[in-house]
Amino acid sequence: MASKTVAKDIITLRGSAAIVSEFFGYAANSILYNRGVYPEESFAKVKKYGLPMLLTEDEDVKSFIANLTSQLSEWLEAGKLQRVVLVIMSKSSGEVLERWNFSIETDGEVVEKGESREKSDKEIMREIQAIMRQIVSSITYLPCLDEPCVFDVLAYTDKDVAVPFTWMESDPKLIANPQMVKLHSFDTKIHKVDTLVSYKNDEWDDQ
Amino acid sequence: MILRTPPPKRPRTEIKAAEEGYPVGSGRHLVIYEDSPVVHDQPSEHLLCTYQCRQMVKSEFFDALSSAEKQARDYQSKWETLNDSFCKVEAERNRFMEQFLYVEQELAAAKGREQALQEQLLKEVNDSRERFKKHIQSYKEVEIKLKDEVNLRKKAESSAASSEEKANNLEGQLTRLSESMKREKHSFQVELGQLKKDSKYSLSRKNAELEKMESIAINAEKELVLLNENMEDLKKHLNECLYQKGEAEKKLATLTFQEPNSSDASLLVKHLQEELRNYEVEVQEAKKLKSSYEQIELLREKLLEERSRRDRAESEISKLQELQFSMNTLDELSSWKTMMQNIPDVSSPDDVPAKFASLQKEVLDSMMKLGELNARFKQMEVALDGAQFSKQSAKADAALARDKLKGMEEEVKQLQLMLSTITDERDRLKDLLEDSRSMKGDVGGSEIADGKLLQELQLSIANKECYIKELESTVQMKQEMNNRQQEEITLLGEKLNDEARRIRSLERESDRLRSEISLLESKLGHGDFSTESTKVLRMVNTLAVDSEAKETIEALRSELQKAKDKLKAVEELNNQSGNTVKSVDSHISEKLKQLKEQIATLEKREERYKTVFADRISVFRRACCELFGYKIVMDERQRPNGIPVTRFTLQSIYAQSDEEKLEFEYESGNLSVVVNAYSSQPDISQQVGIFIHKLNSIPAFTSNLTVESFNRRTLS
Repeated sequence: MASKTVAKDIITLRGSAAIVSEFFGYAANSILYNRGVYPEESFAKVKKYGLPMLLTEDEDVKSFIANLTSQLSEWLEAGKLQRVVLVIMSKSSGEVLERWNFSIETDGEVVEKGESREKSDKEIMREIQAIMRQIVSSITYLPCLDEPCVFDVLAYTDKDVAVPFTWMESDPKLIANPQMVKLHSFDTKIHKVDTLVSYKNDEWDDQ
Repeated sequence: MILRTPPPKRPRTEIKAAEEGYPVGSGRHLVIYEDSPVVHDQPSEHLLCTYQCRQMVKSEFFDALSSAEKQARDYQSKWETLNDSFCKVEAERNRFMEQFLYVEQELAAAKGREQALQEQLLKEVNDSRERFKKHIQSYKEVEIKLKDEVNLRKKAESSAASSEEKANNLEGQLTRLSESMKREKHSFQVELGQLKKDSKYSLSRKNAELEKMESIAINAEKELVLLNENMEDLKKHLNECLYQKGEAEKKLATLTFQEPNSSDASLLVKHLQEELRNYEVEVQEAKKLKSSYEQIELLREKLLEERSRRDRAESEISKLQELQFSMNTLDELSSWKTMMQNIPDVSSPDDVPAKFASLQKEVLDSMMKLGELNARFKQMEVALDGAQFSKQSAKADAALARDKLKGMEEEVKQLQLMLSTITDERDRLKDLLEDSRSMKGDVGGSEIADGKLLQELQLSIANKECYIKELESTVQMKQEMNNRQQEEITLLGEKLNDEARRIRSLERESDRLRSEISLLESKLGHGDFSTESTKVLRMVNTLAVDSEAKETIEALRSELQKAKDKLKAVEELNNQSGNTVKSVDSHISEKLKQLKEQIATLEKREERYKTVFADRISVFRRACCELFGYKIVMDERQRPNGIPVTRFTLQSIYAQSDEEKLEFEYESGNLSVVVNAYSSQPDISQQVGIFIHKLNSIPAFTSNLTVESFNRRTLS
């Protein structure tokens, strides 16, 4: 939860990092549900951001996402995280089919000096709500994933970041000649998150 | 109104003058003759009135009076009308005055604005003049530079054209030389091939013959040995037989004397003869063996000769190859020499690189200059566009100013029309006044007041005329001002064109920046990043990882941390307490021992996991090697742009050398072949083209390769 005073809506670095990492957790769950990576029956409905959100009940996925968000929060507090990418790949061939790109801009002054900012929680929630709605509506233009898929998460960090034990360096898993759709962004005044989805051109669309 | 009071009597001298001058009853002066004691000296032939005449004169006088009164009334009405018109004119004059004042105010405001505009315009004009001067100077300088650079460009182009021609000529010569060389090479190669084939064939034949001969020689040697042994045996037998023969002859000789035992002797003789024949046969065989032995020795000598010939042929072949190489080098040198002769300013091979370097520098300089010229052309185009834009805006302002001028001119025309109407009215009034003056001269004293009013009117009209003149002067001033403004507007128009060009250039830059932004956004969306400042990480423990290992690792970590915390606590306790240390020490030492044991077990467990993993991996690798026929080595590498890539090196178990290795790169689920010395061989590259590029099947390629290498291995 964001460390804030109710009266003034002050946001600290730690609170902003918590908001962004929490957002990523819910966004990842929403993407996995809407893109059919995991079966629908493995998800449960909860209320968040004023919307009914779906969270996975698979323990492995849950623990994976929990570990991920905790590490992301750490990097966000240090101001070392530049981007988070959720990659959906074909299970059989390992080919990258979709990339959900979350670019993060951090206010350097806040990280260096430990300042805080003022922004209304409602405003932030409204912005995140818009992004979640767009993720849900993305199934109208994204190509169908007819084959079994798996997902992975990539973190673009600063070069001087110490690689934790459970992480390793990786290639960026790019898509050749992708189609790109830019979604909304949200801003806590400390971290600004831009969302973009790039996907492999469907052969039927090319024809 | 009829005047009842008669006019004052004039003195008689006037009456006389009137009688002399004017007849009666015609608007003239009436001379009333009255009975007067004065006796006129002069005889009067004037009219003498009796009472009737007096009445007549009175009536006539009254008529005249009434007519005069009527006239006076008319004049009065006219005067009233004139007065009304004067009032109207006054009102108009007041209105005109107000308008004039308003116009004056507007004029003053316009003057103030014009002054401000003039000041601004002056400033802008001065600035623009300075800028124009600077621009003109820069344009002149740029023109001079342009001319110089155009000349340089022409020179560079001409030199480039000449160098291109030379290069084309050289290329033509090179192609011709290369073609001739190729033909000669081909012929040499054909001859070489033939020679090689012949030599190979002869070598193989000779080798085969040699082997045959060797085998024959070995067999012959063995046979020789055997035959020698047999020969020796046979010799021994021969000697024995000869000895026996001698004894038998002796015996025969003695036996001729002893005839009764002839049958036994004949048997002996037969036996001996048979042995003789056998021995003779063996002797012949020994002779044959000897001859074969001699043949074998001859063959040995031939073998040696053939071997020496083979060595000589091989040495000559090697010499041939060296000769061919030297021929090739000689041909290249000759071609280079001919090229050098064609290249100007080159006398020795050492000059060639310098010449090429100088040519390259010239080309680079010309390219740089061309680039700079292009940049300057673009800048000039941009400046021209800016100037055109400012010109267009200045034109727009000029059009607006012209419209304003037109409005002002129309107002001026309206004022002039008003002035003309006022002057016409003034003239009319003047005429009326003159007419009224002429009329009123006859009437008399009552019209003097009218004359005063008329004078006042005239004064007012004169004042109006003055005002009108002032207005005309102001209109002229305005026209002059308008002309000046028009000139300034043309200057503004030019400035506006410049500014329009500047705005266009800014718009172009903004479009360029927008395109760059879109490019960067697309790159961001694509996922590109700078390897100098960014690295990409992913979690090792994906969802397919063994959860038990995770739990054990976490448990180990937690235990380690607990042990460390306990150690720290123990050390702190050791530092703080004194007497109680002894009692605590034992407890702490026990705890320390336990913790150390735990650490040792954990470390052992970790090593065990490592060894188990290593064993399993080695088993897996061996099984893969035996099942698929390839030793696979996995290697993590980094590309020059910093992206980590997994490389797989495959070596077939049927490979005949260590260089027969295939390399593949794995990235994002895609495997691609890496070109190396082995895969670039024609056979292998053909298979790569068919199986991998066309049919997109790496397993088919590897299986085909294993079958081929297996066949090769088994055949060899």
